[in-house]
Amino acid sequence: MTPMMNVVALVSGGKDSCFNMMCAVADGHRIVALANLQPKGTDELDSYMYQTVGHQAISYYAEAMRLPVYRRFISGTPLSQTKDYEATPDDEVEDLYDLLVEIQSHTPFEAVAVGAIMSEYQTLRVLNICKRLNIKALTYLWQRNQQELLHEMVATDVDAILIKVAALGLTPEKHLGKSVKDLAEYLIQLEAQYGCNPCGEGGEYESLVLDCPLFSKRVVIDESEAVAVSTDSVCPIGFLNPKVLHLEEKPGFDVSKSQRELLEPYMAVLRGSLSKSLRE
Amino acid sequence: MVNFTIDEVRAMMEKKTNIRNMSVIAHVDHGKSTLTDSLVSKAGIIAQSKAGEMRFTDTRKDEQERCITIKSTAISMFFELSEADAQLVKGADQIDSTKTRGFLINLIDSPGHVDFSSEVTAALRVTDGALVVVDAVSGVCVQTETVLRQAIAERIKPILFMNKMDRALLELQLQQEDLYQTFARIAESINVIIATYSDESGPMGDIKIDPSKGNCGFGSGLHGWAFTLKQFAEMYSAKFKIDLEKLMRRLWGESFFNPVTKKWANSRETPEHQRAFNMFVLDPLYKIFDAVMKFDKEATAKLLEKLNIELKGEDKEKEGKHLLRVILQKWLPAGEVLFQMITIHLPSPATAQKYRMELLYEGPMDDEAAVAIKACDPKGPLMMYISKMVPTTDKGRFYAFGRVFSGVCATGQKVRIMGPNYVPGKKDDLYEKSIQRTVLMMGRNTEAIEDVPCGNICGLVGVDQFLVKTGTITTFKDAHNLKVMKFSVSPVVRVAVEPKNPADLPKLVEGLKRLAKSDPMVQIIIEESGEHIIAGAGELHLEICLKDLEEDHACIPIKTSDPVVSYRETVSEASSEICLSKSPNKHNRLYMSAVPMPDGLAEDIDSGEITAKQEFKARGRVLADKYGWDVGEARKIWCFGPDTTGPNVLMDVTKGVQYLNEIRDSVIAGFQWSTKEGVLCEENCRGVRFNVHDVTLHADAIHRGGGQIIPTARRCLYACVLTAAPRLLEPVYLVEIQCPEAAVGGIYGVLNRRRGHVIEENQVVGTPMFVVKAYLPVNESFGFTADLRSNTGGQAFPQCIFDHWQILPGDPFDPKTKPAEVVATTRKRKGLKEGIPELSNYLDKL
Repeated sequence: MTPMMNVVALVSGGKDSCFNMMCAVADGHRIVALANLQPKGTDELDSYMYQTVGHQAISYYAEAMRLPVYRRFISGTPLSQTKDYEATPDDEVEDLYDLLVEIQSHTPFEAVAVGAIMSEYQTLRVLNICKRLNIKALTYLWQRNQQELLHEMVATDVDAILIKVAALGLTPEKHLGKSVKDLAEYLIQLEAQYGCNPCGEGGEYESLVLDCPLFSKRVVIDESEAVAVSTDSVCPIGFLNPKVLHLEEKPGFDVSKSQRELLEPYMAVLRGSLSKSLRE
Repeated sequence: MVNFTIDEVRAMMEKKTNIRNMSVIAHVDHGKSTLTDSLVSKAGIIAQSKAGEMRFTDTRKDEQERCITIKSTAISMFFELSEADAQLVKGADQIDSTKTRGFLINLIDSPGHVDFSSEVTAALRVTDGALVVVDAVSGVCVQTETVLRQAIAERIKPILFMNKMDRALLELQLQQEDLYQTFARIAESINVIIATYSDESGPMGDIKIDPSKGNCGFGSGLHGWAFTLKQFAEMYSAKFKIDLEKLMRRLWGESFFNPVTKKWANSRETPEHQRAFNMFVLDPLYKIFDAVMKFDKEATAKLLEKLNIELKGEDKEKEGKHLLRVILQKWLPAGEVLFQMITIHLPSPATAQKYRMELLYEGPMDDEAAVAIKACDPKGPLMMYISKMVPTTDKGRFYAFGRVFSGVCATGQKVRIMGPNYVPGKKDDLYEKSIQRTVLMMGRNTEAIEDVPCGNICGLVGVDQFLVKTGTITTFKDAHNLKVMKFSVSPVVRVAVEPKNPADLPKLVEGLKRLAKSDPMVQIIIEESGEHIIAGAGELHLEICLKDLEEDHACIPIKTSDPVVSYRETVSEASSEICLSKSPNKHNRLYMSAVPMPDGLAEDIDSGEITAKQEFKARGRVLADKYGWDVGEARKIWCFGPDTTGPNVLMDVTKGVQYLNEIRDSVIAGFQWSTKEGVLCEENCRGVRFNVHDVTLHADAIHRGGGQIIPTARRCLYACVLTAAPRLLEPVYLVEIQCPEAAVGGIYGVLNRRRGHVIEENQVVGTPMFVVKAYLPVNESFGFTADLRSNTGGQAFPQCIFDHWQILPGDPFDPKTKPAEVVATTRKRKGLKEGIPELSNYLDKL
């Protein structure tokens, strides 16, 4: 077993980074801070690296986790679009590097948790940064079977909704705002039908976590705006912009429990997840 | 009728050289079924158990009421050649080595009305020869040409019968030379068609019709008499001391005889020289007609004595037409003559399968199945083609009807049932089941039989639930499919149906499934709006389908919409720009454009001249030579569509693009989809060439999967069409109308009102009848027949056959035009959003 590490979790607000964080805790590590990159002047950047829709929820998310969140605007652009990555000034990847350097000055940590599953493009970039900072990357979801992952997330009460759809078979009217739990079977069916990734790894959809076992409070969206990116009949694209949010008390939540203790009821599932993850 | 036990029939099936599988084909009303009757009554096989029961050719009630054939019917017959005639059967594969003189003849009588052409196609597939019947008075008509062309394309050898000769003599009173010219003209027209679609050096050899070879008969099916030159040559051979075959040659064409000098010549050398055909063939017939119709008893008696005909009993009392009929039937019995033609001139399965195999089989030409089909080998693996489904007497079930090409098909045998979409090595459209029962189809009756060897036609029980309409049955696990049939007509007319009582919907759905099975061509479509659509070849076809649906298949009252036609979407110019579309995640870009195909290419794809399965270099050459495409480009066709065979192509004109092969399947899927459901109103596309110019893709495969690329390709192709001046194509009928001269004026009026135009107007030589040919948009054809009749005093009878697609003039974006109206109503009917989608929906900016 790896020694306990202090971990900064890279969060987008989506289910994958959240579940990966839970895996890190289950593996015996401690999340000490959250890191997030947010878009500037727009809600959806179509970034090659970061999920940006739902960025409005991140501050609530941090409060629910009772952790500090460090944020930075995405100022770079995807200059290097090859699969491999080498440090490139003004590339959007460098924003993450700068953010992690900044966090280091506030709080010591030995690893970052990253929720990448299939995208070599994204993972190679994170690994590049980790190497430069001499820290570890915790990627429990890497190369996992997406159908299994989806089931595990549902089983461990990760409550997420779809906030962006951009793939054949998913339409804004029908699927935006719906919970991942309810759509799980449909998402799996789409894989057989059109070759969609059930976890949305190819950018098919983005999600926002409203609640998970680590949250002391639940994120509630009071008001949101549906934005249509494209309305054509073939493959309409749209996302949900949360406008007004608040946190709701979770009755019976025990504030004295540690992160690890909070996950106790789910350890059977999480142990299974850990056993299937590829450790370096 | 001949009585046989099933065992005797089974024994005959074994002799593949002594079998003739044939269809009777003709234009509607040229007398096929009447002629067939005379054959069946002479030699139809009745199993002993069924003998004495109801008549054999008994078919549908509506067929009798309307006096037209709707469904094709198979009948087995037995005929024994005389010893002398058996010598005339040429070729080792045409008669068995012991010169068995008995022949098993499986005949399929098929409908003549164009709307039921698909039945003819199904009949042709299982037969090797065709008896083409032409009305000597009307001549070669549009449907004669259509079915003959199809027969030749399937390598079915034709023989000709000129029917209704009695009318030519009695009604038209044609002179001998005029009648000869009429016959010569018909034979010539038939040969022109044959020459257009085949070639003497082809695998069937010379299949031209030549009366002097005896493969052309003359006579009257209705009166039951017929002859070929062989009959007359036999009469004169001894007298002239000329060899039979030589004499036959002298009895046709430019061959003249001088009765004074007894000299033959190749031209009318002296005034005494007369055409041999007129003198030796027609003259005796005319004499009989003359004597009998003038009630000249003395002359009649003399002639009868000369011909050695003795009248018995009540026949002696007959006069006029009735007497004529009796005399000619005795002298020149139709059945005998036709059977001689069939057995001597049509190929046996052993002969025909040698050259038909390469057209029938999709797999490699040297695998086990191919070799067995070619040799018609009963010891080879079973290969059987199911060409149609025949309803059984217990409703809802069907016999799968087809031809065994190799091996033996047996009751209880475990077989692979492969539908048209089966791909070797995959599991789709494949079932492994046992054949419950094999049966012989005898008209409407069936008789169980233990097994059926190759070269024969039979029905299977228990296969219907695994096949929609057609398919291949085999025992060979590596077998490929037998080729799917190509129909000469398209389902261009459609109606929507719904049950009168909404609670009956499940029954309707079930009924539609059965209808789809029972008809080789009808299409059943469910629109997104939930409407059930039946698509057929024409008004009559739909009428029959609806009747069957209501009375036989669904058994519930049905509401039917007005008929509408299918349209096609096309482009009239090249795309005004190279269109760019981005994937939903914005990380992949496709660049494509659309160009109209050159004239004739879409038709070549329809007819199978240019296909997806061709070797790409050969295809590239044709496209370059015939259509002036760049050879390099022409080789890079990714696919055809819709349904991978349709008349649109997707071409790769990119230069050195990374990962292109990885997304190829996704782009093809998008192409199939967008050519099936076009951008204007989700009708099929036609005649569009799409070019893939460039693609830029996300470096990581996970971000360029099907979910991203398929919709992008589809959107991009839509943008291509929208920027290329899209147009609608409407189906157009070729109409052939026969009528007396006085009625011609009325025809023009009706056609003009219906946007039709006349392309040809001819008098039928030697008759007062006129034939008018015209193009008529299918959309204007509803009620055309009735309209025409009322405007011509019931004298004009049209035959409409789908001919081509033509652009419906007008810009669909201009709301005042006809195409815009069609688009609007079609979109509404299909439950689509109002209005053609904006280009900005599909075209992205960099």
